[in-house]
Amino acid sequence: MTYRRSQFLINKPLQFRYMAYLTATLLIIAAVSLLGLYVGIWGGVLDAFSDKRVRDDLLIASRLTQYEEARIPDTAGGGFSALSFFKQSEKLSQRQREVFKDILDKTNRELFLKLLILFVFIAWGSVYISHKIAGPLYRFSATLDQIAKGNLATRVHLRKSDEAQFIAQQFNDALTSLDLKFSQLKNIVQEHKNNPERLAVRLQEELDKIKTSASR
Amino acid sequence: MHLVKKALSILWLLSFLIPAPPVSAENISPEDRAVLTQIQKDTLQYFIRMSDKNTGLTRDSSQSGSPSSIAATGFALAAMAIGQSHGWVPADYAKARIQKTLRTLLRQVEHERGFFYHFIDRHSGKRVWGSEASSIDTALLLAGALLAAEYYPGSDIERMTHEIYDRIDWQWMLNGSLLVCMGWKPEGGFLPYYWDSYNELIILQALAIGAAKNAIPAKAWQEWLRPEEIYAGQTVVHSYTGSLFTYHYTQAYIDFRNLDDRGLNYFENSKNASRANLAYSLASRQNRKSYSENSWGLTASLGLGGYKAYGGKPGEGIEDGTIAPSAAIGSLVFTPQESLRAVRFFYDNYKSQLYGFYGFKDAFNLDKNWWADQYLGIDQGISFLMLENFLNDGAVWQRFMRLKSIQRWIRLAGLNEAS
Repeated sequence: MTYRRSQFLINKPLQFRYMAYLTATLLIIAAVSLLGLYVGIWGGVLDAFSDKRVRDDLLIASRLTQYEEARIPDTAGGGFSALSFFKQSEKLSQRQREVFKDILDKTNRELFLKLLILFVFIAWGSVYISHKIAGPLYRFSATLDQIAKGNLATRVHLRKSDEAQFIAQQFNDALTSLDLKFSQLKNIVQEHKNNPERLAVRLQEELDKIKTSASR
Repeated sequence: MHLVKKALSILWLLSFLIPAPPVSAENISPEDRAVLTQIQKDTLQYFIRMSDKNTGLTRDSSQSGSPSSIAATGFALAAMAIGQSHGWVPADYAKARIQKTLRTLLRQVEHERGFFYHFIDRHSGKRVWGSEASSIDTALLLAGALLAAEYYPGSDIERMTHEIYDRIDWQWMLNGSLLVCMGWKPEGGFLPYYWDSYNELIILQALAIGAAKNAIPAKAWQEWLRPEEIYAGQTVVHSYTGSLFTYHYTQAYIDFRNLDDRGLNYFENSKNASRANLAYSLASRQNRKSYSENSWGLTASLGLGGYKAYGGKPGEGIEDGTIAPSAAIGSLVFTPQESLRAVRFFYDNYKSQLYGFYGFKDAFNLDKNWWADQYLGIDQGISFLMLENFLNDGAVWQRFMRLKSIQRWIRLAGLNEAS
């Protein structure tokens, strides 16, 4: 036999709150990753290809080619040549590959660091949030243990920030009612212990008010 | 009477044969010494300001966005050690900076079998601009580190320097030949160029032959060419470009005054090359405003059209009126009189355009009214070291010549004491 819940939102405030927690966490991770990638890559690219950097790079490419040519007798004549221009272009494209690799490496490193910090926060947050549920469950469990041992004077006490405040209140109310009922039965026994017939009548009256599954 | 006249004429002629007292640091005027010392101190600032404070790697040039150069970093190591020996930088600061640089070189900077890449990122030490693992630049770095280590005997600076030295696989850079290859790239392997003719290669040969580990065979010393030519009465074993720096780099570290290579003395050779360089400039003085007896020095430097291997004769002799002050400063030990005259001329006349916080800027050209607004690390480096040799009785030479590797190279290459 299978049971299907026909309604998914059975506790809207609670469920909405947890949906908000989860969505916010995912949004933060996504925002940090996307912003990190966007700012890291575009920031790096904009910086690497600013007018000044491009001018500097052109000058450096040209100079490094000239350094090489100064060392090689065949080309020591200098001056403009197609080969020299080709070498400068080659150097620039090699440099651009290095620059892109640097930008990506740097972005990845920074993103990794940011996400690491974020994960620490998320880990701490999930412990905090889950504790709001695990705590009440533990308290309920302990209280039920006490009840099983016959202690009806026990109650569920939750912290202000804990979830399930309402159910705890209902649980405690029900327990109080049960406690009062048994107290009343005890009082009746005490009151009529010298008059068994009267005691039986009173008990019967009180017990009739209680609905149980195994009564005859 | 006739005899007297004859005797006087002979005396007059002989007077030209009596050499004038050579200009050296001992007999320069206090004013000249003060100026040269100031230039050296200011030049040191390049290496302090242009080196990354976290890694110690030094920028190739003062231009914004410039990568670090491994050769400039070598000069920085040497400059820092020398600077603290004069009290120009606090001793603990210099030591910490050298230690940091060596640690970066050992643990962080990308290399191939010990050969560092020519250009590296100053923050990460990674290869940039697709540069080659360079044999000569690694040698220049190593020379600077070895010199710095001589200022800190028995320290971790010495230990780290030898770790860097021992890591270099010099034999591998021969690529199966007896000539050292210029470099290697991950994309294409060995470059098709070798150090096969006289130029700055001697420092590379010396360190590769004298290495305690992975040394190249001693016979490699005889493999490269020593092309000889006469220009303006000066016999010079010359480099292809005739750039003065090719006669300077090795001899900033190695003292060749008392060393002969089968009858060839490289100190005398650099002396002749410097004189020939001056003569070559003077031969073109009609067409070039920059050139005069007091204004000379053709070496690879920045020019209006970019970096060029300017140089004199013998050699290609590319010139367009551009003069680099580092050329005359680098020749101070070879041609003290002529070089000092030039340095003072530049300092006294062009200071406002040519001199800045880090000493002389790279170059100028009066014909084009062009003044470099930048400093190049390697040009500042050679200026600094040669000033140290000139002003302080070969202080760099004295230390560098004590190195076991240098002594080993002298023995293996069969160099003799100069006659």
